[in-house]
Amino acid sequence: MNVIRSFGVIGVACVLGASPAHAQSSPPKPQISDATKAKAAETHSNPDALVLQDFTKRIEAYMAIHKAAAKDSLPIKETKNPGDIKAAQLALAAKIRAARANARAGDILTPEIRNKFRRLVYPELKGKAGQETRENLTEDVKEKDEGQPKKMTYKVNAPYPEGNALPTTPPNILAALPPLPEELEYRIVEKNLILRDVQANIIVDFIPNAIQ
Amino acid sequence: MRRLLMSVLLLVGLTAAVPAQDLKLPMKMGSVKFAVIGDTGTGDSHQLAVARQLATYRGKFPFEFVIMMGDNLYGGNGPKDYDKKFAIPYKPLTEAGVKFYASLGNHDDPSERFYKPFNMGGERYYSFKPANSSVRFFALDSNYMDDKQLAWLDKELIASGSDWKICFFHHPPYSSGEAHGSDTTLRAQVEPIFVKYGVNAVFTGHEHFYERIKPQKGIAYFIAGSSAKLRAGNIAPSALSDKGFDTGFTFMLVEIVGDDLFFQTITEKGATIDSGTIHRVGKVEPTPNRTAQPVVSTGGATKGTTTGK
Repeated sequence: MNVIRSFGVIGVACVLGASPAHAQSSPPKPQISDATKAKAAETHSNPDALVLQDFTKRIEAYMAIHKAAAKDSLPIKETKNPGDIKAAQLALAAKIRAARANARAGDILTPEIRNKFRRLVYPELKGKAGQETRENLTEDVKEKDEGQPKKMTYKVNAPYPEGNALPTTPPNILAALPPLPEELEYRIVEKNLILRDVQANIIVDFIPNAIQ
Repeated sequence: MRRLLMSVLLLVGLTAAVPAQDLKLPMKMGSVKFAVIGDTGTGDSHQLAVARQLATYRGKFPFEFVIMMGDNLYGGNGPKDYDKKFAIPYKPLTEAGVKFYASLGNHDDPSERFYKPFNMGGERYYSFKPANSSVRFFALDSNYMDDKQLAWLDKELIASGSDWKICFFHHPPYSSGEAHGSDTTLRAQVEPIFVKYGVNAVFTGHEHFYERIKPQKGIAYFIAGSSAKLRAGNIAPSALSDKGFDTGFTFMLVEIVGDDLFFQTITEKGATIDSGTIHRVGKVEPTPNRTAQPVVSTGGATKGTTTGK
């Protein structure tokens, strides 16, 4: 009997796993925390707006760390010596890492922010136009004649692997997501969204399976 | 007599093997002269071969600067990469005072903008205008076309008045490439701005071949992404294409005289595979709600290997 039940579970899992169209056709459901719901009720606010406000605050807090680290580091400025660029980048990264030694995935991109971002991105991946965007997102992965990319480590404070292509973030995805200060950028690698510090070349936070 | 005949035949054979170096541009004093290269940063023999031809051609066509379509450094951005993939290949040109203006490709770390020889002024996107010219160039970062960059482009284009407006960046809005093809999401963002403000010509890379697209909404589009890498046979038959070349490595020479832009596309062996003229009809002021420009006619003989497959 248990064997039959196991086969049944495996069968259902296989059907679900084999139907990406099903996953694509159902938009992510909102996941708002009780705390945010309570605050929204109290302030007569839209819960989604509060989630985005929270994101902005977390970005500002990160930028305070970035700016303090940059102040104490070698300035990154135009130079004929590329070694100076690398040295400045590494010095800044080291200071940010030290200041965020205890940072964990989800500190900035919290579960409800992750959910909100998935919902913001979802409409851009639907239909024929969405298919084009999906193809753009996987294009760099397909560039097999451009060298084997280094293995990506999805970890806060990890460097983005030097020499790997930086997948282009489609303009419509950028337009859908909240704007960032110029020191930060969104990149989508495989199906994951990375929040990357451009100047320090480090992963600030990430959203697994942001693209569904 | 037979010996003489053999000598003549040998001489003819040798002459045929020598790079053609047939320049058709007007080569007028005071014109804007520049070269176009794309997807260069390999440091391999193909990049070096194109670089050598560039230097050779500069002897006859003294271009003052080179615009780069991105993917300036493949596989890393350490000091040795900058040397091997840029400084050494183009040393004869940089030592002669030729300036390079880079844009960023998907294989470029944005920190490249701080490398002085790329003349990006520390910015991911920027514009410049050669001295004593009526041509303004706009280098864009097509890897990250956010609202801020689009607003900047809007502002810069409106300020450029009646100058020639030439944009260059990595991803082609129009392409007949099988590997990538037209970047329609990018096109949807930038084309309305190009049209509105009267952009005349757009140079891109990303596709590892040369292609001249039929003018779209009055704008001339070129793909010049085979200055070190080549995707042989990658151009698919397409109604978009006016001329394609995907069997050799190429660079472009461009000259602007008055309302005419002359171009010539040359292989690493020195053969011309495309040439022609873009004529802009009068000076186009930025105009709101424009849907197409009264600009461009491209013409001129094309020769060499033919379009795509």
